[in-house]
Amino acid sequence: MEELDKSCEYLSGVCPVWCPGCGYYGILSALVEAFADLKLPTKELTLVSGIGCSSRLPYFVKAYGFHSIHGRGLPIAQGVKTANPELTVLAVGGDGDGLAIGGGHLPHVARNNVDITYLLFNNAIYGMTKGQFSPTTTLYPVTKTSPFGLAGEAINPSALAIVYGATFVARGFSVKKEHLKELIIQGIHHRGFSFIEVLASCSSFNTTDMNVARIVKNLEMIPEDHNPEDAIEALRLAADQEKIRLGVFVRHQRPTLGDKFQEMRRKAKGKGAGNMEALLGQFA
Amino acid sequence: MQSDLVLRVAGESGEGVITIGETLCKIAAREGIHIVTFRTFPAEIKGGSCMIQVRLSERRIPYHGEGVDFLICLNQDAVDENLPDLKEHGVLLCEAECDLPEKNPGWTVYKAPFDRIATREIGSRISKNIVVLGALSHLLSLPKETIEKFISEKFARKGKTVLDHNLDALQRGFDFARSHLAKKDSYRLPKGSGRKRLLMTGNEAIAIGATAAGMRYFFGYPITPASEIMEWLAAHLPKMGGMVLQTEDEISAICSVAGASWAGGKSMTSTSGPGLSLMSETIGLLSMAEIPAVIVDSQRGGPSTGMPTKTEQSDLLLALYGSHGDATRVVMAPTSVSDSLRVTALAFAVAEKYQLPVIMLVDQALSARLETVDRETVERLPQGSRSCASPADGAPFVRYQLGASAVSPAALPGTQGGEHMVTGMEHDERGNFACDEETHTAMTVKRFRKLAAIESDPLVAEFCTRLGDENSEIGIVTWGSSAGPVEEALAVAKGMGISAQAIIPRILNPLPHQELKTFFGKVKRVIVPELNFVGQLATLLRSTYRIPTIGLTKVKGVPLDPSEIVEKIVEAESTLNARSTRAYGRAG
Repeated sequence: MEELDKSCEYLSGVCPVWCPGCGYYGILSALVEAFADLKLPTKELTLVSGIGCSSRLPYFVKAYGFHSIHGRGLPIAQGVKTANPELTVLAVGGDGDGLAIGGGHLPHVARNNVDITYLLFNNAIYGMTKGQFSPTTTLYPVTKTSPFGLAGEAINPSALAIVYGATFVARGFSVKKEHLKELIIQGIHHRGFSFIEVLASCSSFNTTDMNVARIVKNLEMIPEDHNPEDAIEALRLAADQEKIRLGVFVRHQRPTLGDKFQEMRRKAKGKGAGNMEALLGQFA
Repeated sequence: MQSDLVLRVAGESGEGVITIGETLCKIAAREGIHIVTFRTFPAEIKGGSCMIQVRLSERRIPYHGEGVDFLICLNQDAVDENLPDLKEHGVLLCEAECDLPEKNPGWTVYKAPFDRIATREIGSRISKNIVVLGALSHLLSLPKETIEKFISEKFARKGKTVLDHNLDALQRGFDFARSHLAKKDSYRLPKGSGRKRLLMTGNEAIAIGATAAGMRYFFGYPITPASEIMEWLAAHLPKMGGMVLQTEDEISAICSVAGASWAGGKSMTSTSGPGLSLMSETIGLLSMAEIPAVIVDSQRGGPSTGMPTKTEQSDLLLALYGSHGDATRVVMAPTSVSDSLRVTALAFAVAEKYQLPVIMLVDQALSARLETVDRETVERLPQGSRSCASPADGAPFVRYQLGASAVSPAALPGTQGGEHMVTGMEHDERGNFACDEETHTAMTVKRFRKLAAIESDPLVAEFCTRLGDENSEIGIVTWGSSAGPVEEALAVAKGMGISAQAIIPRILNPLPHQELKTFFGKVKRVIVPELNFVGQLATLLRSTYRIPTIGLTKVKGVPLDPSEIVEKIVEAESTLNARSTRAYGRAG
């Protein structure tokens, strides 16, 4: 009961707009419980999102929230972290937001190793616009905009993040809240870009792809002896067609964007003094 | 002795044409001479014709000059292309083998075998431009020691062999000229004040202005002709504790700016028309969420890829209206390099104070041109800061308070008790989405009240200037770099006995209504010179003030010539004399 109280301190009081039965409620619970476990001060907590059902999440959390435009949560989060590295920055968004319209940003935030945690809510459908296929739609091919089936193959978000070089890649499931909470805690702890794919069912427009019974039946935890620095093995696990693997695929350390900036500042200062007088000198 | 000298160097890209021009500029700037240059760039990376025109003067000059006094041509193509611009009593210095037209209106011609000296005597063809500099130092009595110093600075890091070749080239060019080219003309460098001036390009001035204004976070994507802003900042902003990040596209750049600015850092991006098109949606977000940002657009020939290396002023309507919905933004346009320094600082002051995006329009010609700048300009830049709240503990923070002031204080992430939402959705005072009738009206009014407040802010008072005869009935309204040729044209017209006046607003949204209404109340003709086809400023003025305008538009990829404006002034004067018309007294 005490734990519940603590996590409730991270709720803003704004009532979620999600449908009854939406998998996102589970993600919200896991998220605020993770914040409570980490005892994160709300003033340093920053949530950035794009557009879509999942991107509404920042309204429901007591934090600094930025609900932006479709597909652009990641570059905005990159800007926030750059200007104030002290903040704990999370980006949230859906499969359409992050892999369709905003798909061009993911490789760059990953390769820059921006020290933020990105939760990609994967429900394999466009929910907010009421039922068009998304880049991860697979088993539910007949949608409002694909009445005769899908033209393209689905994207595997975790596999993609591994290939893009994200330094922390994990997959969770909204129903397995405790596990998801642990992944979020690990993601926030990780220094660098943390990518967490969260499977969640859309109760209104696609109950097939992320069907809870199907996922429960097929899920398998990543073996404890998996070496998270082995990206090839991680990719094999993430791309597994037979089993839905949950857990941490990849975790390794390399300098973050902030570290690189520090290094660049150091090198630049070796090339000249940091004041206007010195900068103007080159024009004299 | 003449007070002005217009000198042009022309050749093939890669021949070192720009080095000749820039070296002359550096020497002159140290003597305290005023300089304005104009450069053309071929679209090719290597090859293609290029030129730099340098106008040097004892007094402040607004324009790079029309007609050339002293032309230097490195090959036959350069002669063919540029000789028509040489004035009647001008000087031509060219490669010995160049053919010249039989008819010579009075030119002084010097020929020298630059190519042969470089190739045979020095054994380095690429040192040809330095041979030319040597000859010039004789013909224009330039201080050779100063040139030697510049060459040493420029080539020192390339090793002793290269440096020696170039110093040798300078000496041989000088010796050849002294023994073979007896000075027959009277052109010299104008007299300088002796007060050293800074010499920089428009793009450098923007980078300096932004740095001086406290900008520390720059995100951008390479694009001609704006890339030099990012390049300069990449080299120098980290020294100031800032950083530059080249993003994957312009959308990422402006979104990163939005994030960094929301977090409290003064942030900026620079681009050209294609990039501004991509940024349009985020400009609406910045407007809606009330986040400061400065976006520089160095305009080039459009639409689409257009003419990337050529100048144009055809993004005004995009800057004013681009993005869906009623999106508030401020649009500014500096007129010169030193003006770019001031207006960039003003852009930050206004963006921060009023929490909105500011788009600053320059153009290729202004971005690339070298100009002398007084050091004092950097010391007297406009300043403004963001109003930040000290939230009360316990009560939810009200980010978008409706009240007496158009600007509601922000709370930067990290501030105790300031947790709140910012959003691209319509929202209530706390930032929660709200789609009811009253809220959307009230919040739209809130956002637009800021524009009205800016118009009357003393901060912007000095950024609308008047030129010429204030009693004249012929008026000119222009913007951006076209102000230079307009100022020049007013002087030319005055010399012809025709009086005219001009008004040059640096802020194009919100327009300085008081100044413009007063102006339109006095004049009977309004000429609007600008570098686009449809007359974008003229369209804005007609729709805002319901006045007839006389358009003067040009889409050739080069700046307006003063003579083109003078022609319009003369035309307007003739219609003025034909029948009297009342002033636009009821304008607006």
